[in-house]
Amino acid sequence: MTETTSAPLLEVTNLKTWFPSGRGEIKAVDGVSFSLAPGEVLGLVGESGSGKSITGFSIIGLIDEPGRIVEGSIRLEGRELIGLPPHELRAIRGKTISMVFQDPMMTLNPVLSIGTQIKLALEAHENISAADARERAIKALAQVRISEPERKVDFFPHQFSGGMRQRVAIAIALLHRPKLIICDEPTTALDVSIQAEILTEMKELVAELGTALIWISHDLAVVSSLADRVAVMRSGKIVEIGPALGVLTRPQHDYTKALLDALPSRAKPGQLLLRGSGIADAAPPPRKSTTLNLPPLGSPYLVVDNAMKRFEKPAGLFRSLAIKSGIAQPLPVVQAVDGVTITLKRGEVLGLVGESGSGKSTLGRMAAGITVPTSGTIRLNGRPVMSEGRNARKITTRIQTIFQDPFASLNGRMRIGDIIAEGPLAHKLVSRAEALVYVKEWLAAVGLDPTFANRFPHQFSGGQRQRIAIARALAMQPDVIVCDEPVASLDVSIQAQIINLLIRLRAELDLSLIFISHDLSVVRHLCDRVAIMYRGKIVEEGVASTIYADPQHDYTRRLLAAVPVLPEAAE
Amino acid sequence: MLGFVLQRLWQAAIVVIAMSALVFCGVYAVGNPIDVLISPDATQDIRAAVIAQYGLDQPLWRQYFAFLGRIVEGDFGRSLVYSIPVSELILTRLPATLELTLAAVLFASLVGIPIGMYAGYRPHSLVSRAIMAISILGFSVPTFWFGLMLIMVFAVQCGCMPAGGRGETVNLFGVDFSFLTGDGFAHLVLPALNLALFKFSLMIRLARAGTRELMLSDTVKFARAAGLSEFTVLSRHVLRLISIPLVTVFGLELGSTLAFAVVTETIFSWPGLGKLIIDSITSLDRPVMVAYLMLVALLFIVINLIVDLTYALLDPRLRKGRA
Repeated sequence: MTETTSAPLLEVTNLKTWFPSGRGEIKAVDGVSFSLAPGEVLGLVGESGSGKSITGFSIIGLIDEPGRIVEGSIRLEGRELIGLPPHELRAIRGKTISMVFQDPMMTLNPVLSIGTQIKLALEAHENISAADARERAIKALAQVRISEPERKVDFFPHQFSGGMRQRVAIAIALLHRPKLIICDEPTTALDVSIQAEILTEMKELVAELGTALIWISHDLAVVSSLADRVAVMRSGKIVEIGPALGVLTRPQHDYTKALLDALPSRAKPGQLLLRGSGIADAAPPPRKSTTLNLPPLGSPYLVVDNAMKRFEKPAGLFRSLAIKSGIAQPLPVVQAVDGVTITLKRGEVLGLVGESGSGKSTLGRMAAGITVPTSGTIRLNGRPVMSEGRNARKITTRIQTIFQDPFASLNGRMRIGDIIAEGPLAHKLVSRAEALVYVKEWLAAVGLDPTFANRFPHQFSGGQRQRIAIARALAMQPDVIVCDEPVASLDVSIQAQIINLLIRLRAELDLSLIFISHDLSVVRHLCDRVAIMYRGKIVEEGVASTIYADPQHDYTRRLLAAVPVLPEAAE
Repeated sequence: MLGFVLQRLWQAAIVVIAMSALVFCGVYAVGNPIDVLISPDATQDIRAAVIAQYGLDQPLWRQYFAFLGRIVEGDFGRSLVYSIPVSELILTRLPATLELTLAAVLFASLVGIPIGMYAGYRPHSLVSRAIMAISILGFSVPTFWFGLMLIMVFAVQCGCMPAGGRGETVNLFGVDFSFLTGDGFAHLVLPALNLALFKFSLMIRLARAGTRELMLSDTVKFARAAGLSEFTVLSRHVLRLISIPLVTVFGLELGSTLAFAVVTETIFSWPGLGKLIIDSITSLDRPVMVAYLMLVALLFIVINLIVDLTYALLDPRLRKGRA
């Protein structure tokens, strides 16, 4: 982490990459300058739309039409890259500068074997025989710690897990021992523990090969664990750049401070986060149905008793005959949730934590009455959530759900007002005449302009959409809300606003929440109790602060250790 | 994989049986073949004798099972018009149609896909716009009109191409082929072009849409970032990824062209199946119609089976779980 004095490997000066649009130029990158020494790791941090990815793509010369670099210079070892003819740029790509992308599901070609894809990347820069290419591919896989590379080289991408796929992508990026690798959010789509593994390996590889790295991320903690220097971007400009420790512990610029303040890991649990709490939102409308006998706060409310969910693959005619006669093995069964018993007290926030595939979402969906459990019961205030019989369905409106992706969970062809009013109208919580007023009250309560009611979802940003999804859930006047990763796809500042909203509404409406998340810092901030899920079972459960301070189960310890931690702010 | 093939064969068998019942009942309902077979002034005795000879006095289900039994033995009956076995009749016509159809579909794919991919690769260039204009034309121009224009321009006005017939053929393995002789090939070009036009436009559109979408994908970006040349990106990555919808349409088009090349065959006097079926419908030649429809059903089933197997070949994700 010392300042190097050698000649810079990369020098970017006043880079401007603009995208012409119907409403004038979009200045995605607007005057960015920085330099990078050989072997240095630069973290490029910013929220979505800050221009950090476009900066990376500008360097490697892969700006999508109609974007173009209008001004500035990018020098690689003194050689100007802007204006190079396409074939010379191509000779640099993959050879001197290479790139790793966010989603390894999307970057590798699903119909070509790993070996073929590595071979193509090798052939791009050298003449190599098929046998040599295979040899090199095996070595490349071994270098990124993939076991049994001789066998795995013939695998197709779908036979690998997400982390393995990203390792393959890194192996391809490293093939020609480039001097610079640009990593665009390479661990964002991965689980914490896999992210931790990749981060460690990346650190080792970079040190071993002397490769410089530009690590683009929205996650300050990830960047701090890897980068020598950090640049913070906002609206196409670098607002602050300096040694990682300095920027993260003694931020100079207001925006950097705001970003850090928005992190739940920096705040006291349960308190409103500094950012996004300024607006005094309207109070939620009064409850209309008070006929239910609600138990006092703190008494057991939603009880999940030995819930189990199995997903079976339907077998075809021949296979089922073969299974019956003992020729073939039955198809594998996925035991998503394996006998979970858990109680949500009234007014409590229960965090459900685990990696992808741990069954946390399935459990949440069962608790919300969306998925029918294979066995076991779920009761709300003593009454079953699902009806009995073959075609079991949810029979209460008192549990509602907020989903992860506010883009997918709102019907794009319905107006916001209709989306929110749909449920209450169907369940006669409100009359058609009062519906609009009712919708507007809820929009105000989640901090949105009530006149938005006649707009369509595509006219809103991700954070606004998530507010709409919350308003839709609340308009049903539930007591319990199951939140399935509600902030996972949002930027930190928007995430802070949504967390604040949930904290506030919970208190005002006496809500009980099940909060499903892979983000341990968000869970600690919001939840009273935490349950850790692993392979369909709850391995540990208890008061949030206790679990974080003194984890008992092995898996919990590993999970907590894998979370990248920001250096503490200097007082 | 074996299980998958078995499953498909099983489904195919059911489809064939259902098809045979449908075809049999459908054709049974059309007209009375006896009126065609014997002269109107024949005596009632002769009439009854002929009816009995063809089994037309039996109940429908018995006739159906007799028909099934004969099919199993490979006997489709004799054509009422030509008085030769139907299977022989169809086999003399099938190669001509197969040749014409394959020529058309292969041309449409081999030329249409690269052109479409180019149009998707450079969507805003003038050439691409011209390609798209041509493809719209190809969709909207009626086949018969385009065929007539081809004949008028190339056969009548400039006289460089023959207007109809198969021309000189070569007999290979007991089957006549046109395309192996210069004269036969010249006879093949115009009808094949005419038949290909629609499919050609379709392939262009499909290839373009797929390529255009994929050029913006992370897969292509990642391949470019690794320094792959644009040609390699297109030929190794994009082509493989767009090939699944293309193969689907290729199969469907091949089947429907085989079955319904009627218009082109009529215009160019191509001695194929299309002409045969039209003739047999007008003369109520029941055995020919039945055999033809069964053949078409079988062709569709075989083509679809091949298409499905090709999917598994093209996309490794489909191989898993069925292995």
